Amino acid sequence: YQWATFARSWFVIDARMQPPGKIASMCSIRLQGKHKPIYHALSDCGDHVVVINTKEIAFSGNKWEQKVYSSHTGYPGGFKQVTAAQLHHKDPKAIVRLAVYGMLPKNLHRRTMMQRLHIFPDDVLPEDIRANLTEELPQPREIPRKLNEYTQEEIDAFPRLWTP
Amino acid sequence: MAARCMLRSVWTSFSSLTLGPSASNFCSLQRINVPQLSALTIQSRGIRQVVEKREGNTITIEGKTVETPAAPEPPNPAAKCPIYRWNLQHKYNYTDVLLLSQFIRSDGGMLPRRITGLCAEEHRKIAICVQMAHRAGLLPDHRPKLPEGHVPKTPKPKLNRYLTRWSVKSVKPIYKPGLKWCKKRMDVGHPALKDNVRYSVKPLYMKH
Repeated sequence: YQWATFARSWFVIDARMQPPGKIASMCSIRLQGKHKPIYHALSDCGDHVVVINTKEIAFSGNKWEQKVYSSHTGYPGGFKQVTAAQLHHKDPKAIVRLAVYGMLPKNLHRRTMMQRLHIFPDDVLPEDIRANLTEELPQPREIPRKLNEYTQEEIDAFPRLWTP
Repeated sequence: MAARCMLRSVWTSFSSLTLGPSASNFCSLQRINVPQLSALTIQSRGIRQVVEKREGNTITIEGKTVETPAAPEPPNPAAKCPIYRWNLQHKYNYTDVLLLSQFIRSDGGMLPRRITGLCAEEHRKIAICVQMAHRAGLLPDHRPKLPEGHVPKTPKPKLNRYLTRWSVKSVKPIYKPGLKWCKKRMDVGHPALKDNVRYSVKPLYMKH
């Protein structure tokens, strides 16, 4: 039985219309291994996590324009500040990757845990990763339905509040 | 001056009677002589559909009132505002598109308060929710009509968002967020909806 408890499983998360912060917290818990009762920081008990559809990520509020990702190249005058929208346009994986990087514990294990995280901007997965997937995690946020997704019966069943 | 005061007092006393065509007569008359409303000139409210008929040379454009089917009985018929009549005061959100779509025009704008009969706060709350639903993309068919011959430019990839308080173009990026104790927070949701019914223990988090 012990081989099953110490096995490294592969999780898949669909990030469509989800806030990247909630996705990142779920990823960091599973990358560290904190979802297992046999967790210990020194024992290498983290799992693999695959994030799909990161290009359809949804920020709450006006964070697409307000959130700024800053970095410095090391050279003088190399301080770059990019808004979340611009960064997403350049690289759709970066937002989720940076969010998970900030949520993992700040030690040398972080780099190995980031190597176990696999991010894909859309549905296309390589064959070997698809063969390894074991569990799909539920989405943290309920996606609201658009008006054209409601059937006509549901629209008719809803009572009219006022008469014109 | 005295005539104007008399006009205003008579206008307020007769404001309950909806006198559309006779309003223009007020200015011309010295003595207020309100014509009696007969049964034929009762104004009716209702959505009308424009019907065009061609009979030889004449074209008649008619507005026929569309029959609206009777709505079911609201639980609280005594209240004035439709939301209070149905006891939905603090229970709706930007996701309840079926409710919000009853108060919007076909191009996405809000209907005026005097037509829908909403009270001021609820009208404001519904306007805010409709704005948030538009920005979230939950009302794809209620778009403004583009003028004919308008060639749409190559559209930029739309970013998914929800609970946006401010308009997309008006927000500036926070280049210097500050330290933890004096951080410039990003606003999520709207304070008008802070009294909504919450079924979870966690408080509503509006400053992210």
